[in-house]
Amino acid sequence: MSLLRLVGLTAAAVSLFGITGCSAIGVKPWQRELLAKKEMALDANPLDAAIDDHVYFSKEAASGGRGFGGGGCGCN
Amino acid sequence: MQLNKSTTPLRLGLMAASCALLGAPVARSQVAPDGEQPLLIDTGLLYYKEDQGRVQTIEPIVNLKKNYGDDHVLGVTLTFDSLTGGSPNGAIPSRKAQTFATPSGTSLQPVSGVPQTYTTPSGQVVALLAKVTLYSVNPGQLPLDPNFHDRRIAADASWSQPMGLDTHASISGHLSNELDFNSAAVNGALSRDFNGKNTTVSGGFNLELDRINPIGGAPVGGTDYIQLLKGGNKSKNLVGGLFGVTQVMSRRWVSQVNYTYDTSKGYLTDPYKIISVVDTTGASTGYRFENRPNTRTRQSVYVGNKVYLGGEVLDLSYRRGSDNWGIKSNTVDGRLRIDLGNDVYIEPHARWYRQAAADFYHLYLNQADALPTYMSADQRLAEFRATTFGLKLGIGFDGNNELSLRIEEYQQKAAQTSSSLANLQGLNLNPGLKSAIVQIGWRYEY
Repeated sequence: MSLLRLVGLTAAAVSLFGITGCSAIGVKPWQRELLAKKEMALDANPLDAAIDDHVYFSKEAASGGRGFGGGGCGCN
Repeated sequence: MQLNKSTTPLRLGLMAASCALLGAPVARSQVAPDGEQPLLIDTGLLYYKEDQGRVQTIEPIVNLKKNYGDDHVLGVTLTFDSLTGGSPNGAIPSRKAQTFATPSGTSLQPVSGVPQTYTTPSGQVVALLAKVTLYSVNPGQLPLDPNFHDRRIAADASWSQPMGLDTHASISGHLSNELDFNSAAVNGALSRDFNGKNTTVSGGFNLELDRINPIGGAPVGGTDYIQLLKGGNKSKNLVGGLFGVTQVMSRRWVSQVNYTYDTSKGYLTDPYKIISVVDTTGASTGYRFENRPNTRTRQSVYVGNKVYLGGEVLDLSYRRGSDNWGIKSNTVDGRLRIDLGNDVYIEPHARWYRQAAADFYHLYLNQADALPTYMSADQRLAEFRATTFGLKLGIGFDGNNELSLRIEEYQQKAAQTSSSLANLQGLNLNPGLKSAIVQIGWRYEY
């Protein structure tokens, strides 16, 4: 996938969020009881995620996405 | 009654993750989970073991997060790795026994009559010494360096705080030390809420500096392995950025899109990998040190979702990655947290990964062909598919403790495993990988 295609895909997704986020989607503050549950956090288990990212970083050519796909490890 | 606004678990989680540069999320969602935790202790013990006597790892990790009020949060993470076992050196199996030098070896040639230094065609003076430790590999077996070992100590620290009503900032640093590798990094992120805190836009940067001190020296890339030409220490750096949008889609669904871009420059070659050279029959005639380009640009698009399904919580993500080495990858990852009651839950996990090979990846080199500038037989640069299947069990008690056990199996299957050359027929040239992942966790919230 070329750089332009990737950027375009991201821009399209962001635009979708931006356009629809203003009106059709989203919730009021009093509608967040389910979203407020700990297990609904996008990073509910950061330690698991860090360990997984370390394992896959050392065994695969791709890394990151959820955050920076940096290194800090000589394993790859 | 607590006078200060306490940091939410979500932001505490953000801090923990931004501490760990590997996979550090920057984008955050404007979802405020229940509960307040001025101090969180999150610990884990990982045991990772590959089949057929390959690498095994024991990794304890401790994460502390302290809330100083008003969303001012300090995070500290300490990690220790200990690795042992056999690591593939890049050569393919052969019909005959093969002999290699451990990385600490610097020459396979006799001591007498050999110059102690050598000048490469590019003018670089490298060592050509005689001390060597050999290991042999039986016919048909994948060459593994049985002497592989390493240990890593890593420390991460982070600070996060609001910057006004709708803006949040975080900065974190990383230091790690291995026997042959040192790394320092810093990253920062800003995020801003819109649309009644239903939309969060985030941006971040990452800067990493690495020093590579290969055991026995850094080989001169692409040179004949028999000469074991070694140079001094090397370095590389990485500069990256991330742009993300998090959107609350409904009462039950929050979604996130990230775009990441980074560039690495410097010594990107694996100093311990070689590549086989074979004749027209497939018989091994020698080996070359691998040689990779000294720049790499990567980018990825990541889409993550959390969906509440009437008691169960689905975590589903997709990642598309590509780089200028020709490696394209797709990853789908799904977890379903099922609440069993009495603070007990299980979480099945499945992951599918597929990548294309790097442009300069070769299973082996043909002696009759012109020598390419860049070459690698590192299986991590090959075309392969990988799957992960696992299950996590979590048990909460005393209201603020959680014990967990996670067991997973990871498996790689390479696309190219054979050759039509006579001496290689019937040999599995890239047997793939199967490993077990066991993780024990304890989380305590004050």
